[in-house]
Amino acid sequence: MKRISLTLFFILVVLWGGFSTEIHAADNVTVVLDWFVNPDHGPLFVALEKGFFNQRGLEVEFQVPSNPNDPPKLVSAKKADIAVSYQPQHYLHVDQGLPVVRIATLIATPLNTLVVLADSDIKSIADLKGKTVGYSIGGFETVILKAMLHTQGLSLDDIKLVNVNFSLSPSLFSGATDAVIGAFRNFELNQMDIEGRPGRAFFVEEYGIPPYDELILVAHHDNLENPKLRKFIDAMEAGVRFLVNHPEESWTLFVRGRKDLDNKLNRLAWRDTLPRFALRPGALDHARYERFAKFLKTRGLINKTPQIENYAVELK
Amino acid sequence: MNNSTNTVAGQGKRPSAPSVILENVSFSYSGEPIFRDLNFTVKGGQWTCLIGPSGCGKSTLLRLISGTLRENFSGKIHFSDGNSHNGRTAWMAQKDLLLPWLSVLDNVCLGSRLRGEMSHEKRRKAISLLEDAGLGEYRDSLPSELSGGMRQRVALLRTLMEERPVILMDEPFSALDALTRLKLQDLAASLVEGATVLMVTHDPLEALRLGHRIYVMTHRPATLSKVLIPPGSPPREPGDPAIVSLQAKLLHRLVGGGNP
Amino acid sequence: MRIIRLIFIAVGLVLVWQTIVLLTHVPPYILPGPLNVAKAALTHAGPLFDHAMTTLFEIIAGLLIGTLLGTLSALSMIASFSLKRWLLPVLVISQAIPVFALAPLLVLWFGYGLSSKIAMAVLIIFFPVTAAFYDGLRSTDPEWLELAQVMNAKPLAVIRQIRIPSALPAFASGLRVATAVAPIGAVVGEWVGSSKGLGFYMLHANARMQIDIMFAALVVLGVLSLAIYFSVDWAMIKIVYWQKEETE
Repeated sequence: MKRISLTLFFILVVLWGGFSTEIHAADNVTVVLDWFVNPDHGPLFVALEKGFFNQRGLEVEFQVPSNPNDPPKLVSAKKADIAVSYQPQHYLHVDQGLPVVRIATLIATPLNTLVVLADSDIKSIADLKGKTVGYSIGGFETVILKAMLHTQGLSLDDIKLVNVNFSLSPSLFSGATDAVIGAFRNFELNQMDIEGRPGRAFFVEEYGIPPYDELILVAHHDNLENPKLRKFIDAMEAGVRFLVNHPEESWTLFVRGRKDLDNKLNRLAWRDTLPRFALRPGALDHARYERFAKFLKTRGLINKTPQIENYAVELK
Repeated sequence: MNNSTNTVAGQGKRPSAPSVILENVSFSYSGEPIFRDLNFTVKGGQWTCLIGPSGCGKSTLLRLISGTLRENFSGKIHFSDGNSHNGRTAWMAQKDLLLPWLSVLDNVCLGSRLRGEMSHEKRRKAISLLEDAGLGEYRDSLPSELSGGMRQRVALLRTLMEERPVILMDEPFSALDALTRLKLQDLAASLVEGATVLMVTHDPLEALRLGHRIYVMTHRPATLSKVLIPPGSPPREPGDPAIVSLQAKLLHRLVGGGNP
Repeated sequence: MRIIRLIFIAVGLVLVWQTIVLLTHVPPYILPGPLNVAKAALTHAGPLFDHAMTTLFEIIAGLLIGTLLGTLSALSMIASFSLKRWLLPVLVISQAIPVFALAPLLVLWFGYGLSSKIAMAVLIIFFPVTAAFYDGLRSTDPEWLELAQVMNAKPLAVIRQIRIPSALPAFASGLRVATAVAPIGAVVGEWVGSSKGLGFYMLHANARMQIDIMFAALVVLGVLSLAIYFSVDWAMIKIVYWQKEETE
């Protein structure tokens, strides 16, 4: 009799133990990236590989979009929890009624750059007069160019614009363009070095564009109270911290299980992206965000500048 | 049908049409001998009808004479005036073969158009032929606007426009209804005047109405019966008792396949 | 009349569209309602018109060149058997490769101007036109050819007076298909690299999340394509005048 009851008790304990792990099951978080996995996503994947998400009870799934314009739409449609987006485009999305709010910063500096061939005769922005500038459509490039040209007393009429979509450096190499805008400085310049035709960069924030965060994380307006979002940011912060302290080991973690990312370009980009990750991802600089909103409004890209809490917050 | 010589085809003296002579003609198709040492003469200036069961080689014979079949045959085919048979025949098929994008008039003139020989004269001749055949008001119509019988009438006129000494016809009226067939037989008889005609038909009555000379073709390789020459001149009356009795005889030859 | 039927269809589609938007509460940045799109179209009528003209030009130029190349290719394949053996595989490959894969190459060769978009349209049109015309030329009624032979027809006359007209209905079919797909070539070409055209304008609007403008451009593209198709259809009916349409 005692044996039977002991066995039953044992079984119950095991079941209860199993059940309790069910009860404390992980929270699912779907994150839609802005593009294919690349070194810009360093902290996220370091956090993943080090188990920082799991430690906080989060089961994170990263998705790659089929279309770079999809991520904020997916979050708006509640098909994903978090999207990687761009601060400049974020204002346009909000202006068009998407219920997305910035909750964290991934990359705290602009990455967008105007690039020319190093051996070209364009040594300053003023030399762009009469030249052909290629761009890829982001919704924003004419605004950047206008502001940059304005600092040298030029206007858009002084240059010829050509949409080259994703063939930025190829169009420079073939001579179809004299300069390109929309290149990411950590990538394009390294790519050009590898091809043996180095470039010269003009950083947009040094020529009349207010500084901004190139990559941010956005979530749905209605979901902000969900505690898993703050936990995600905490894990991400742990990831950045580890990355800054252990850059080499972080690279190994980044390419673990993603062997196709282990190439020369990514290695070089990794090195150049390191200083640009937001060290305090959850923090929000109100004045900086409001400054950029005003910049976009005066340039006619958005119709109104809403209250900041409508589009960017610090989660508690 | 008016047999007067007011028809353009009858005007002027036509030089007498040559005979078509086949000597020791052998022809095989997929290993099967269709003709073996066939000797046959289509008498010049006369209308010869060839009648026989399907598949015995009647159409093949026509094509050997027209020149569209040139491979796999041995022997000699020529005209009695010494010249080659190639390119000297006119062809009329069971289908009217009218080009649907050409007007009736242009279809009648098809031969000249394809040879690059069109002229005002040819055009006038075609219009005249059409009027004589009762189709004058349709000369600018498209073939799709005509009935089957009318289209075959146009085909007949196109054949005659060629003015070739030898006319080959492959069951030209078999797709028409009985009444139209009779009318077209009469028209054809009146218009060919003096040409050498070799017509393939499966209708004994048609052969008897139109042919000066009738042959029955049977067996494989094909053999020709002794010639049958009906009394009177074509086009003969279908009700004529002589014709009716000959019809029975022809049918018997066709079915029996023997006894020439 | 045909026009009235078209108007009915258009109105019907718009009503279905509006109903879907109302019932599913789909947000405007995914599917804007017809009124929003109409408003966007009117507000941006100027640029929409300019871009539409660019795309229209690309499509028509592509159609003309593609049709010319297609008919010449079909004729040469009929004329020379050895040429056919070389050309036919090229023909099939031109159809099998998805155009957007070839698009960057074309942009590299032809530049970022209109010629690369026209080249794209030509590529898409080439196969339907050539294949249909070649098929038509091949299937000329052999009894006509026989008759022509007995008549001692000149070979060129046979091609011009018999083969080509008899192949025109097939050619018209092929051209109708080509006309329906030509806009795809032009727009894909614009996506890969351009500064003008409805495809470019759509990309731009999409990047700025101005979905109502994007749909306005889409509608304009649709109307343009319809207009071109009906024009070509009308032309074909005139050219193949001897074919009677089936009347109910």
